[in-house]
Amino acid sequence: MASANDIARMGGTPHWEPSDIIGKMTIKDLLFSDDYRHIAIKGILTSILMLGLGGLMAILFRTELAVPDIQFFDARPYMSLMTLHGMLMVFGFVIPFVVNLMYYMMPKVLGTDKLIFAKGAQWSYWTLILAAVLLVISRPDFTWTFYPPMSLRVGGELIWMGYLAVVLVAISEFLAGCVVFANGWAAAKRIGWSNLPLMGWAAISEGLLLTISTPVLGLVGVYMFTDWLQITALFDPSGGGNVMTFMFLFWFYGHPAVYLPLMPAIAVLYTLLPRFLGRPIWSYWSGVVAFALLTVLAFIVYPHHFQPANTVSGWLERTTQILTMMIFIPSTLHVFNWVATLWYDEVPVSAKQSVPFKFIIAAIFFLILGGVTAYLNAQIAVDSDFVHNTYFVPAHFHAMFVGFMGNMAMAGAYYLYPYFTGRMFSQRLGNTHFWFWQVGILTKVMMMYYLGFVYFPRWVVDYLPLKQWAMPQLILTGGAYLIGLGFIVFVFNLMWSSTRGRTVQGDPWPVVVQKGDTPVPASATPAE
Amino acid sequence: MENALGESGYQATMMLIVYALGALGIGGLFMALFWPKRWKLKYRMEFFFVVLLIGLVWYADKRSTEMFTAYQSVLPPEAGEISAEAGESVEGFDRTIKVIAFQWGFAFLTDDDEISRNAAVVKPGEKVLFRIYSNDVIHGFNIPAAGITTEFDPGEGRDIWIRAPQEPGKYLIQCLNYCGVGHAQMKAWLVVEGAEA
Repeated sequence: MASANDIARMGGTPHWEPSDIIGKMTIKDLLFSDDYRHIAIKGILTSILMLGLGGLMAILFRTELAVPDIQFFDARPYMSLMTLHGMLMVFGFVIPFVVNLMYYMMPKVLGTDKLIFAKGAQWSYWTLILAAVLLVISRPDFTWTFYPPMSLRVGGELIWMGYLAVVLVAISEFLAGCVVFANGWAAAKRIGWSNLPLMGWAAISEGLLLTISTPVLGLVGVYMFTDWLQITALFDPSGGGNVMTFMFLFWFYGHPAVYLPLMPAIAVLYTLLPRFLGRPIWSYWSGVVAFALLTVLAFIVYPHHFQPANTVSGWLERTTQILTMMIFIPSTLHVFNWVATLWYDEVPVSAKQSVPFKFIIAAIFFLILGGVTAYLNAQIAVDSDFVHNTYFVPAHFHAMFVGFMGNMAMAGAYYLYPYFTGRMFSQRLGNTHFWFWQVGILTKVMMMYYLGFVYFPRWVVDYLPLKQWAMPQLILTGGAYLIGLGFIVFVFNLMWSSTRGRTVQGDPWPVVVQKGDTPVPASATPAE
Repeated sequence: MENALGESGYQATMMLIVYALGALGIGGLFMALFWPKRWKLKYRMEFFFVVLLIGLVWYADKRSTEMFTAYQSVLPPEAGEISAEAGESVEGFDRTIKVIAFQWGFAFLTDDDEISRNAAVVKPGEKVLFRIYSNDVIHGFNIPAAGITTEFDPGEGRDIWIRAPQEPGKYLIQCLNYCGVGHAQMKAWLVVEGAEA
């Protein structure tokens, strides 16, 4: 039996009266409204657009990579596609999507009934849009991690817009961090830390990660700009600078950056899993400890991104290895918690049949698949043997970004859909999307792991026609097409169901434990 | 596959551990979903699990440190300096090759003052030291057959060593750090030929 404390820690149910919020939004609402649901919807829809754009770029360069030899794209256009793919996906899709899911859910889950500092969320959104526009115009083609001195030398005349875009992204994310932190903090003050729902703890963690790491990213953007203007020489050795300065500054942001989408995705999982199961998480304190541990460790493991460099040696090399291995522990705690939660009682049939729940399970599957290889990546000897800068690294982070965070984003989107359209989406299309994605993502990830193991290098437009390279690339491309198809099905479903879907009244996600049971709806809330 | 130190067990063990952990996690997930028997885990199970994880972390740290310390202890104490002369032989190695990495290729300078843009020629089984410099931007240096990779910045010297394969033949050398539009073409060959060292 759930105790009163457990129920409090489950937080308020993220349940509103379903209504056609999108249909009733005016252009003025879309652009200026500070209603948290309008802001969140705007953010989510924009993120879906970025996913589509970034995904389109991936489909294009994947087509080039399907067979050896150059067919469609030369090195420069290929690298432009790949760089923009990385930047749009990281900055435009995966982080904003899950942060906006939190904006939508926090007011109910944390019980504040409004989004504190919604203006910050508004400004964060528009700054990001400006950054995206500048980025696309500046056409960077030197990877999303833009290492100098190369990235200072090869950009076109408009590349300064790209450096400015980096500063704007930093500002946008900083503001988002203030918003989530303020909401988590206010809730904790009001109801007490030990009653704070796990989404609140995630908000604190995410807020700290964002506000501490983004100023450094902003500095990196500024220094890239001044180095490019040649009024400073911080990063370019030919002017007296040092590449290591860039590495330490950029990756101080760059490592927390990968947890920026992870924390909200985990928060949404902790919120939706109890919702679909109709019962609390197995261990509240395990979740809290995991959030706290990850937040602290996130700031000190970053040298592992440039571990083979000379400067990462001696004491620094050893502690980076140990801390990087340890950071895989908090994520394992989350998975342990979720599996234990699923296992301690019946999994309702309503859950097994619902599309969001399926996406949640797939997300956990990929967190495991991508996470266990962290054990290999962290070991310096293995990293220096076959992991570093081979396809093994993108295998790991695509399993995480697409397999875990992409699937959680979809779970959140499908979950919220009835709430902001007043209709249920087509289950058949939702399931089709689900299966296309899981087969596609699994294919992609497994092929990438194999390619990494056989030393396929990162960032290449073309490759030697070795059989162990060519065949997996072809299959990988097939997987990517499947993901693209799934995305098209998803978008079609969103649009089609907004006018033809079954209207929903009451709770779109009532819990039915066994077939034939009476549905248990979420507690009734007044219509908004 | 053997690495530079001649060990093949270490990597295989680590991969086995990863497969086992993955199977445990995914197996647990599917059992929690589909196995009819329900199971409420006691909280102390998680403590045991964390202890197991810490043990695995300790083990990996220990083995990895043994490997990379053994590897680095063979290297000369100071990275070579960039100079106009070809590298002199370094004690403890059968062969020393100076490598200049540039956009977009490698130049190999042997201690007999020979220079090649395509190949580093070595004898089977030789212990070879590569003293690497970048001419311009960050580059990488990877020899898949020898199981070693490194990266280096312009203005710094970097040393790595390998044990050349026993089988004569051509083995790939590639740059693994994005260095510009020619990155994909930045390859060379480790040519193993001649009598055993």
